[in-house]
Amino acid sequence: MGVTISMYRKIIKRSLSNMRDSYVIYILACSFAIGIFGILLSMGDNPSVHLALHWWDNFIYDISSIMSGLFAFFAFIYMAYVDGFFIKQQRNEFLTFEKLGMQRWIIVTLSFFQTAIVQAVAWIIGLSLLLIFQKFMGMLLFFLMQVRFNFEMYLGWDNLYILLEVFAVSTLILSLINAIKTMRILQKKKTKPLVKTRWWLRIPAGAFGIILLLSAQICTAYLFKDMRMISYSGKPLAEIFYIMMDDIVGTYLVYYGFLPSILDIMERIHSVAYSGVNIFSFKYMKERLFQNISILWFVTELSALALALLTFCYFGYQAVHQNYNSAYPFELAANKDTVKVIRDELHKNKAKVKGSYKTEVKINLVSYYSKSNQTYTRQPMTFMSYSAYKSLPKRMRKGNSKINSHQFLKIDYNSSLMYSNHTNEHDIEVKNAPMIQTAKWGYSFPYGSSMHFGPMMIVPDKYYQKMPAEVTDTFYGWDFKKGDRLSRKQLQKLNSYRDAYYMKVNFKSSLEKSNIEVMKKEPNKYEAAIYTQSGFLRQGSIKKRLKQGGGFYLFIVALFSVALLVALGSVLTLRILLRDDYQSRQLRTLQKIGVEESEIKGIIRRENTLTFLIPIVFASLQAYAAIAMFDFGHHISKNIILIYGGYVILYGLFGLISFKISWRGVKQKFSL
Amino acid sequence: MQIAVKNISKDFGKNKTAVHAIKDISLEVEHGEFLGIMGPSGAGKTTLLNMISTNDRPDHGQIIIDGLDLTQLHDRDQAKYRRNKMGFIYQSFELLDSLNVKENVILPLALNRSNKKLIEERFNYMMQLLNIENLSARAIDELSLGQRQIVAAARAMINRPEILFADEPTGSLDSKSATILLNYMQMINKKEQTTILMATHDAFTASYCSRVIFIKDGVVFSEIVNPGNRDKFFEQIINMQRTIGGGDYFNVSQNY
Repeated sequence: MGVTISMYRKIIKRSLSNMRDSYVIYILACSFAIGIFGILLSMGDNPSVHLALHWWDNFIYDISSIMSGLFAFFAFIYMAYVDGFFIKQQRNEFLTFEKLGMQRWIIVTLSFFQTAIVQAVAWIIGLSLLLIFQKFMGMLLFFLMQVRFNFEMYLGWDNLYILLEVFAVSTLILSLINAIKTMRILQKKKTKPLVKTRWWLRIPAGAFGIILLLSAQICTAYLFKDMRMISYSGKPLAEIFYIMMDDIVGTYLVYYGFLPSILDIMERIHSVAYSGVNIFSFKYMKERLFQNISILWFVTELSALALALLTFCYFGYQAVHQNYNSAYPFELAANKDTVKVIRDELHKNKAKVKGSYKTEVKINLVSYYSKSNQTYTRQPMTFMSYSAYKSLPKRMRKGNSKINSHQFLKIDYNSSLMYSNHTNEHDIEVKNAPMIQTAKWGYSFPYGSSMHFGPMMIVPDKYYQKMPAEVTDTFYGWDFKKGDRLSRKQLQKLNSYRDAYYMKVNFKSSLEKSNIEVMKKEPNKYEAAIYTQSGFLRQGSIKKRLKQGGGFYLFIVALFSVALLVALGSVLTLRILLRDDYQSRQLRTLQKIGVEESEIKGIIRRENTLTFLIPIVFASLQAYAAIAMFDFGHHISKNIILIYGGYVILYGLFGLISFKISWRGVKQKFSL
Repeated sequence: MQIAVKNISKDFGKNKTAVHAIKDISLEVEHGEFLGIMGPSGAGKTTLLNMISTNDRPDHGQIIIDGLDLTQLHDRDQAKYRRNKMGFIYQSFELLDSLNVKENVILPLALNRSNKKLIEERFNYMMQLLNIENLSARAIDELSLGQRQIVAAARAMINRPEILFADEPTGSLDSKSATILLNYMQMINKKEQTTILMATHDAFTASYCSRVIFIKDGVVFSEIVNPGNRDKFFEQIINMQRTIGGGDYFNVSQNY
């Protein structure tokens, strides 16, 4: 009995040792996933996180729990899928055991324990990673959230129990899945017949795939144009759906139809095929591609998804940040009624002022046909002179069209967070002033959109000086070193100054007859034509919230992107490493008959390059549609290229590592 | 003299577990000679052949072919030399399953980037010489073992190697196929003046050689030169095998 158990132990040890390179990659990828899962899980419970981010209440805990659950789910699918590669690789071994008289249930049990051992090792390393890197990741989170707080390492009993539970359940399920797979191998026995190139099927399928991909690209071009209609038309949504379906189906058909066929054609052109190692490598790569088409397709679509996610995240963050910047350009802003009180308070707390600004504005009545709302509008508008506008910091003009001293600029609210309407306004009537024929467009309000009501107009200096005003006001803005330092008590005091005054607009038959009535006291009854002028505007807690939220968001997105990259990279690497026995033997044969190592290395390099390059090229083409969804065509600037570039570089790094390991594996077989 | 092997030795493993596969062997082979290397299993036949054919490096000693010391060459140059001057026939055929017969046979020429006309000419010549024209489009797994070995021989000979190495070429063959292959090898040896080095433990196979050396425990034990009569030579080989052990009289082909 002891001898038998020792033999089984040796069999498992031998199997693990034979595929050690592949197992190391799989175990490291799993450990990474387990470590991240543990870190996310334990972060929500961490007392220092609760203390540092107390005003996020349960948000951090909820998000961490949801994200860790989501992460665990995808990690489990990855493990179940990739673990199957190893069982498939051992097919011949299992069949030999059966031929030698080993009972089926023993072979199945061996496969069960082999999986359980690998999972256990992955969990031990994963949990060690959790303990080692929890503090580092926590500090990274705090750094990204710009929170100055010490992150304490913490792993609660509850979380530990959950981790152990997940370990036990997942290991049991994965081992059972592999045991069932082994059973199926032993029952079927027959090897899969070799897939043949069926030209009559592949060529039309590939051609249809190309048509689908081209039509997806054309549709993407239309999407750039149509996306702005998304708020009132179903067309962009239909286009997005069409592009997605075309890309998914088209890519598979192109892979299925053309990848082996191209090599098949090359193989038949004797002047190319009968030259050097091509005679072998075309056939070898064709065989490998036959085996890996589905995986290449799967990796392509997931890479496209990863790139699309990064694009969404980038533009989402940009939109929020842009909105915040146009709403709160100064750390503190005030008007002429509140400036004295604010200055007094700032003086009291010795805030270090970095810069202070002051701009006179006029408020007058205007009427025009609004193109965006498609209505005739009459409203009060704040006017600012061109030179005053230019004297403000550059960041105030970030979202506005450029104007010269003779041009007009209308600054208005962005109707959508994402999509900007870049059309000029025409024929704006101003009370007792010349009509403005054309005004350029912008959304960055100097002193912030919340500082006053309605749109703002930047006008040439002469126009400004001559124009009459219903109300005149002065805006003040401050930037500080290390914030305005206003205490809670001071803020409570300032609260009564939030509204400076109220304006009631009496609209009559014409603009000339209409007027604005200024009220110091809050009206008892609000009417449609009553507007409020803010007394002051403060970035304060909103800035903090934005930075922290942005940091947390960046942390999660970065984790998920890296995890996705690790998963995809390892799947491809494992597919390359796990060659069939006879495929490895053929490389050895080449060496025996005098093929130089560098030439064999060239075959491995070509195989590796093809496997990694094809998905990323197709994925990048598909992810282009994600950029189109934001209608930021002319903003496909450095940042998104950098994001894509970073992803491609990391992905390429995986390709390089994969090639190194693959060549090492082949070389080891050469010396046998 | 074409090949001069001088005091080569090779160990496998380290320290206490080290096995001395070859111990200080020296030998010479003339141009156009058909040399047999015999000995019991584990005697070092394949190791010696692998070292002479540059598939393995000796720990000590020199291997000089046509005045060139191959042990001093870089791996890359050895591979080139191997590809241009040598041909190989293995017991396990070492044919590439993913290629068909024609592609397998022309592989050495294609690797040398020979022009298409020469490839076709040499291929047709070899197929006629070995009488296997009908096999050219067949896949490897559609061939019998004997046919596979003849295809392997065709591949080994297509680029007119100066030296042909054969490691147990008849090991996987039945007696009829073995006889056919050996006749071909003898014909090639005579027609093309190719030097052949063949490792075998089979006396019948060895009787086709012009000279046979016997290895035991990593050293050359003795050698017999073919007197011109194959029956007599066969008897001499059998006697020598009896002397050194490991041989088997009943290993002799029934068709002999």
